[in-house]
Amino acid sequence: MASSFSPGGPSRPRPGYYPPSIANPSPNPSPASSLPGTMQNLQIGRPSAPSGPPPFLSGISASASGGSRPGPPPQSLPTRPQFQQPPAMSNGPPSIGVSGPRFPTQATLREPTPTIPTQGSRAVPGSSSAGSPANDLVPPSIYNSSFSAPAAGVPMAPPSLVSSPPQLHSLMGGQPSHPLAGGSPSQPLAGGPPSQPLMGGPPSLPYMGQPQMVQYSGMRQPLPPSGAAPPFGSPPVWQQQQPRPGVAPVSSMVQAPPQMFGAPPSPFTQPRPLTPPVMGNSPLAWSHSSTPSTIDPNQIPRPMVDSSVIVFNTRQGNQVNSPPPATSDFIVKDTGNCSPRLMRCTMNQIPCSGDLLSTSSMPLALLVQPMAIPNPDEEPIQVVDFGEIGPIRCSRCKGYINPFMKFVDQGKRFICNLCGYSNETPRDYYMNLGPDGRRRDAEERPELCRGTVEFVATKEYMVRDPMPAVFFFLVDVSMNSIRTGATAAACGAISQAIADLPEGPRTLVGIATFDSAIHFYNLKRALQQPLMLVVPDIQDVYTPLHTDLIVPVAECRQHLEQLLESIPSMFETNKVADSAFGAAIKAAFLALKPTGGKLLVFQSVLPSIGTGSLSSREAEGRTTNVSSGEKEAHKLLQPADMTLKTMAIEFAEHQQVCVDVFITTQAFVDMASISVVPRTTGGQVYYYYPFSALSDTAKLYNDLRWNISRPQGFEAVMRVRCSQGIQVQEYSGNFCKRIPTDIDLPGIDCDKSIMVSFKHDDKFQEGSECAFQCALLYTTIYGQRRIRVSNLSLPCTTMLGTLFRSADLDSLLTCFLRQAATAIPTSPLSQVREQIMNLCVNILHSYRKFCATVSTPGQLILPESVKLLPLYTLALSKSTGLRNDGRLDERSYWANHVASLSVSLAVPWVYPRMISIHDLTSKENNDPILSSILPLSSANLNDDGIYLLENGEDCLFYVGNMVNSEILQQIFGVTSVDGLPTQFVLQQYENTFSKILNDVVNEIRRQRCSFLRMRLCRKGDPSGMLFLSNMVEDKSPGGLSYMEFLVHVHRQIQTKME
Amino acid sequence: MEDIGGGAAASAPASVAPDPDGLDGVRMTWNSWPRSKVEASKCVIPVAASISPIRSYPDLVVLPYSPLRCKPPCAAVLNPFCRVDFPSKIWICPFCFSRNHFPQHYSAISETNVPGELYPQCSTVEYGPAPFVSGGDQSSAPPPPPPIFLFILDTCIIEEELGFVKSAMRRAIGLLPENALVGLITYGTQVHLHELGFSDLSKLYVFRGTKEITKEQILDQLGLSVAGRAGAPGFPKGGMPQANGLNPSASVNRFLLPASDCEYTLNALLDELPSDKWPVEVGNRPRRCTGVALSVAAGLLGACLPGTGARIIALVGGPCTEGPGMIVSKDLSEPVRSHKDLDKDAAPHYHKAVKFYDSLAKQLVNQGHVLDLFASALDQVGVAEMKVAVERTGGLVVLAESFGHPVFKDSFKRTFESGEQSLGLSFNGTLEINCSKDIKLQGIIGPCTSLEKKGALSSDAVIGQGNTTAWKICGLDRSTCLTVFFDISPSERSNQSGIPNPQLYIQFLTNYQNPEGQMRLRVTTITRKWVEGSANTAELVDGFDQETAAVVLARFISLKMEMEEEFDAIRWLDRSLIRLCSRFGDYRKDDPASFSINPNFSIFPQFIFNLRRSQFVQVFNNSPDETAYFRILLNRESITNSVVMIQPSLISYSFNAPPSPALLDVASIAADRILLLDAYFSVVIFHGTTIAQWRNMGYQNQPEHQAFAQLLQAPHDDAQMIIRDRFPVPRLVVCDQHGSQARFLLAKLNPSATYNSAHELAPGSDVIFTDDVSFQVFCEHLQKLAVQS
Repeated sequence: MASSFSPGGPSRPRPGYYPPSIANPSPNPSPASSLPGTMQNLQIGRPSAPSGPPPFLSGISASASGGSRPGPPPQSLPTRPQFQQPPAMSNGPPSIGVSGPRFPTQATLREPTPTIPTQGSRAVPGSSSAGSPANDLVPPSIYNSSFSAPAAGVPMAPPSLVSSPPQLHSLMGGQPSHPLAGGSPSQPLAGGPPSQPLMGGPPSLPYMGQPQMVQYSGMRQPLPPSGAAPPFGSPPVWQQQQPRPGVAPVSSMVQAPPQMFGAPPSPFTQPRPLTPPVMGNSPLAWSHSSTPSTIDPNQIPRPMVDSSVIVFNTRQGNQVNSPPPATSDFIVKDTGNCSPRLMRCTMNQIPCSGDLLSTSSMPLALLVQPMAIPNPDEEPIQVVDFGEIGPIRCSRCKGYINPFMKFVDQGKRFICNLCGYSNETPRDYYMNLGPDGRRRDAEERPELCRGTVEFVATKEYMVRDPMPAVFFFLVDVSMNSIRTGATAAACGAISQAIADLPEGPRTLVGIATFDSAIHFYNLKRALQQPLMLVVPDIQDVYTPLHTDLIVPVAECRQHLEQLLESIPSMFETNKVADSAFGAAIKAAFLALKPTGGKLLVFQSVLPSIGTGSLSSREAEGRTTNVSSGEKEAHKLLQPADMTLKTMAIEFAEHQQVCVDVFITTQAFVDMASISVVPRTTGGQVYYYYPFSALSDTAKLYNDLRWNISRPQGFEAVMRVRCSQGIQVQEYSGNFCKRIPTDIDLPGIDCDKSIMVSFKHDDKFQEGSECAFQCALLYTTIYGQRRIRVSNLSLPCTTMLGTLFRSADLDSLLTCFLRQAATAIPTSPLSQVREQIMNLCVNILHSYRKFCATVSTPGQLILPESVKLLPLYTLALSKSTGLRNDGRLDERSYWANHVASLSVSLAVPWVYPRMISIHDLTSKENNDPILSSILPLSSANLNDDGIYLLENGEDCLFYVGNMVNSEILQQIFGVTSVDGLPTQFVLQQYENTFSKILNDVVNEIRRQRCSFLRMRLCRKGDPSGMLFLSNMVEDKSPGGLSYMEFLVHVHRQIQTKME
Repeated sequence: MEDIGGGAAASAPASVAPDPDGLDGVRMTWNSWPRSKVEASKCVIPVAASISPIRSYPDLVVLPYSPLRCKPPCAAVLNPFCRVDFPSKIWICPFCFSRNHFPQHYSAISETNVPGELYPQCSTVEYGPAPFVSGGDQSSAPPPPPPIFLFILDTCIIEEELGFVKSAMRRAIGLLPENALVGLITYGTQVHLHELGFSDLSKLYVFRGTKEITKEQILDQLGLSVAGRAGAPGFPKGGMPQANGLNPSASVNRFLLPASDCEYTLNALLDELPSDKWPVEVGNRPRRCTGVALSVAAGLLGACLPGTGARIIALVGGPCTEGPGMIVSKDLSEPVRSHKDLDKDAAPHYHKAVKFYDSLAKQLVNQGHVLDLFASALDQVGVAEMKVAVERTGGLVVLAESFGHPVFKDSFKRTFESGEQSLGLSFNGTLEINCSKDIKLQGIIGPCTSLEKKGALSSDAVIGQGNTTAWKICGLDRSTCLTVFFDISPSERSNQSGIPNPQLYIQFLTNYQNPEGQMRLRVTTITRKWVEGSANTAELVDGFDQETAAVVLARFISLKMEMEEEFDAIRWLDRSLIRLCSRFGDYRKDDPASFSINPNFSIFPQFIFNLRRSQFVQVFNNSPDETAYFRILLNRESITNSVVMIQPSLISYSFNAPPSPALLDVASIAADRILLLDAYFSVVIFHGTTIAQWRNMGYQNQPEHQAFAQLLQAPHDDAQMIIRDRFPVPRLVVCDQHGSQARFLLAKLNPSATYNSAHELAPGSDVIFTDDVSFQVFCEHLQKLAVQS
């Protein structure tokens, strides 16, 4: 199936090409509805007739069958990219079909219910002009908290939970464990007497309050609910804590070795056995055995992968469930709260007061990925059309109607869950209430029962007609770019990628090349051949034509292909070494000005000329380093000047131009300055360093293809509202902000994530719920204006323990990662590392101090929910961005990449996944290969092994020096390690081994939505060192080993305790 | 040359009958010169010479060697007026009286064996092909660089006009010499410079229309700057820059290709060339950046080797509304400036634009390149502002109302024709003038630029391009004519010398590159007689050339009107005429009836009468563009042609008599006559009412009325003869009496019969609705005032 999407394939229908009329709301939400051709088999539940109706229509028909799932699900749903070797790479493997996950066949469509006021993010209902967007975007400052939060009802164990425990617990030897924070929030837990069940769940709920089984020294020892603190400060007596069987273990605990205590960690590389390792797990009660033991390095907290698919109900009864880990495979059932893919909070219970939050030392932040790709088995987001009146909104805070708005007074009024205002129900939207106090139609109306819906935007949400999908390509043709093959690679990639663009009149393309001048091309069909228009004034650029630079793809495909083919040869003898990046994007921007759109720039050298030219600061940095040391080095990570920033703001603010930059270079390009443009315009940077025409062409193509074909929206405005009591403190991500409350996103796609941090300005009542609502107003690729509204309502708590239990490790990590990325251009590296470590220590200290008071001071006690925090912190401190030895551009790229990184990709980015592949064939068929991950320690590397390590971006193959030549032959096509190429292309050979490996790699690609840069690393040469630098658990010149780090953290906590 | 001077010719002095310009192509207001400054000023009409530096003449002697020159600083060329001492092989320069030895290769000289330049009839000779390489090895001289034709095409015009201009372009390209280098710039809101040498696809450089751009910037941006970058992208450098005569370090030959190589490219390009696509808002003019387009063209040509002959041929279809050189704003509610606006200083863009075109002219003159302007639009396009650039560079100018109109079409074609019909377009001219002592050069009116080579001969009183003894004429052709103004200022020493030479000598040295690319030096040496004292009026009278005087006066007054604010031209003319008549007429004081004047002056008042009524003085009847156009042509045309501009000729055709010149008077109109008016810019065929009725009834088609058919045809044939020889091609107007087009004739006629005198009308005659005085009244007043004491 997948292969049918390869470029140059047979002509195929472009589903969703003609948007359904607004009056005919589509059950297929974006991303589905915005998926271009590659996503065609969204024709859920239909035989894959090539001429089938667009997904919207199919959805409608599906709705007729009610909740059932008619028809067989399609074989594959490429909601994830399918990666292909471009045909140009003749030796590349054929396109790889990824057996994608499935979409649910059910696409329930509610009747469009006209009525209800509400607000979009751009245009104010009632004030149709763009003149006053600022006004309506100011949130009301008063929130009425009278809205009662879902009462702490009778906890009910959802059956699904029983069978699919959250995987964090798999650390403890695969014992079934309990879900975190599943208990009743009303139960005071933290600091409570030991007799209290830990999770607050009644014991009758086995999996809610189940004590965690801890395997310790090969022995399962459920921890007791209570424990006595070991005597502290008596090294000889320093006791190994022995966890006892007990209930409700929530944390892991590691005790520092006595001999280490108070002394600097000894510089051993092998983690020395710690004498009293304790895996503690209780914040409340803790008992320790005095059994001396040594800690097994394999037992300290490490991420585990549970390969089973979890079904996750966002709410159950009236309770909120903590989401499964971001990296795990799960299917979301939207039962009121939105999918955690769309919004994920650092804690799944909200502290009632700011004091409680600051005590916890944890940040309160929301990671929003508004267009995240759903699991294909999930119900698609439903589209609601309220007709001309537009979505129903709170008349005070302009919050959108959502399941948590409470209808009162027989349904005549509804109370906003965000600001507490009591609104009158619009007449057309009126419905009386049932005996349960809910509207009788609540279950039929998606906006009243789903966490995420998409509203059809009315004219009031548009300052102009929705813009067409415009893709403008800008290719560096300066001398170096030509010589390294970067131009040819870019042209090839574009040529193939445009084949996947929808043919419609709304899809426009344009192209320009540049060196020390900018060359536009008139692609009008009437011309015999493209016309090249050179703009030579790069100090003060302009667009050379008013029309015809950007033309419907259908009209220029032939010209464009012909042109792309000839560009590399046309400039073959180019002697111009200069590259006018700034001027070129400015000129392209001017060409895009009337419409807006996406600008995809292929840049290969340092922009050395024209507007926004840059200098080789890296060299300057090196020379100054000699004299002034590292002190000022971080300043080189700031943009050189404001030129590009100013330009980017202009792009974003007024003309909706989103810039993506593909950097295919072999030298310094001043990433710090260049990346400002994509950062500000909602784009992203792709970095191919050192560029290899052989290895990187395929990735370049696949990156570009995914870039233009992934679910995405244009001219978007996003705003997050929250309940009264807290307020948005800051947004962070790739966007432009004009006014404090909104962010402008000229482009938004499924991969981009935005972090929103909050602060308290009031207190919540215990038992109430705090709601978050993210509204994204955007234009689909088919030119429909939509408002995607995601709601998340979380219970509030006064209990610190509950807070810790509900902490979301993945979100916290993402949050820290972004903080680190933000900090590196402004502070010296050592300071940033210290900062990150302090964050970790403070959290653990808070937990230790307030929630684990009873445990012995000598114990390192880790809250179960965040037990991996030390490991991740350590990995983070050793990451490319925070390492001292990194190149300037690489560090800058790292920071830039992180800025929009989603939660699910942040985890591997910090702590990559490593698997062994030399034994692939010997693994059992039904044992998912990707779940048997290896800790990132060189102790796990054998000389006769081959290992794959991937972080979502790079994929390194490590080949030991004693690998069986047969395996080498099967995988790499060479007979000896010495024969391995330096520039690597993964190929599929005619053998099972190679096939499995390719399947594995493809699975990773699918998961990461990234083609991955393949590199071969050989033991003993620089590439091997690169690989080893990822072994974050090892002791390295720049950092401690994992074991040492735990000791270090522990000591820090103890110092604080004193 | 066909002399259809008509009435004027009839009374013209017999001495200049067949070829008034003679071999030398020099005509003077006074052929006998007053000796003193005072006398000269009493002559009223300035002492001036109209010269046609490279007028074609079948008997011209071309000497294939370098000229022999007097020692510096004189540097006069050996000529028939030199005294030659054959035995001692010495020649004496008539200008500085230096004695020069003949060089070795003249050793064979003797009284019976004199070189061509000493033949008395060879007062004008031409030296070629390498005039300045004296003694150098001529064979090593590089071949002449091919001429360059850089077309600038306005695309801010409607499709129909664009179609016309494209076909004109195609025809022109076909007519270009094979080796000529061709470049193309199209422009509208922006300027498109087409890189014709780019083979992969059509490539062009785009310059913004709003921004002033220097030559250096242009060269830099095109990758042509000598010190600059390694060359522009994608084009394999090299080729044969030397052979093309182009600067080898700058591959300007990417843009300029031999006509034979790029004809296909150009035609293909023209086929696809759209009109300007930038949107024009309602109520606005299209944005047209003529100024920047010209800058780019000039800048590009700046990359050529010095000395390369190049023409910028601008085809302009409307006013410049953007950027430097803009003459009117985009807003249609602002009309293009009129003479009234200029008079009241209410033309906001005028001075800025003139300044811009002036600097452009300087740049072009420095480079030695020509700007030709073909303006075709119903409204003005800014000829008035661009005049300076066209005139200083010696460019051609044609003003038409449409690119489809024959005035443009045929003129444009003529520009590129070779052979008999060729204009003889030449390049890189410089004119040097030597003259006898006591004569100083005030300056030149005409298509040239002062080279600011100040010398003993240059006068402090400047007229036109002065302060110099050398002028640059970037573009010149067979008809190019310059008016040199002389100042008579006898020095103390020459008065004391005692033996004053009764003859004065003037030598014109014109160095130019002929259409074949060869460098030529044309030397014209003339002599005239001094008239001593104030008594010898008769000699002065004999030497008066009233045609030349009228034309020189017209040129002079046009200049004054342009240069001097609040200048009252009519008053000035009247006074001059009165003073002239007072000075040279025979009369008794205060007795108008006694007034008479020598035939040499007899027609002069009529010239002045018509000049007063002409487009040169009565500018308010025309737009500033038209005025500028008329004046450029007045300044560069021969005396004979210029006279026609001032006083049109009228020929009458009737059954009763052969075609004969008729009085330029409304009385010449008769119902049974056909009149042919040649007003230089327009040729009018005017049918009397009866003739028109007969024609309308179709008598000419009946065999028995063949005579009528012939009568009808005759003026057309004559008109075609006029049109064929003239550049720019005049507008042909065919009209009938009382028709609307008849105004073209009536405006030129002496209003001897107006509506005031209508009661005396004879049947078939006509009246002119005007309050202007008739020539009779004018003469009466003149006589009265001339005799006043």
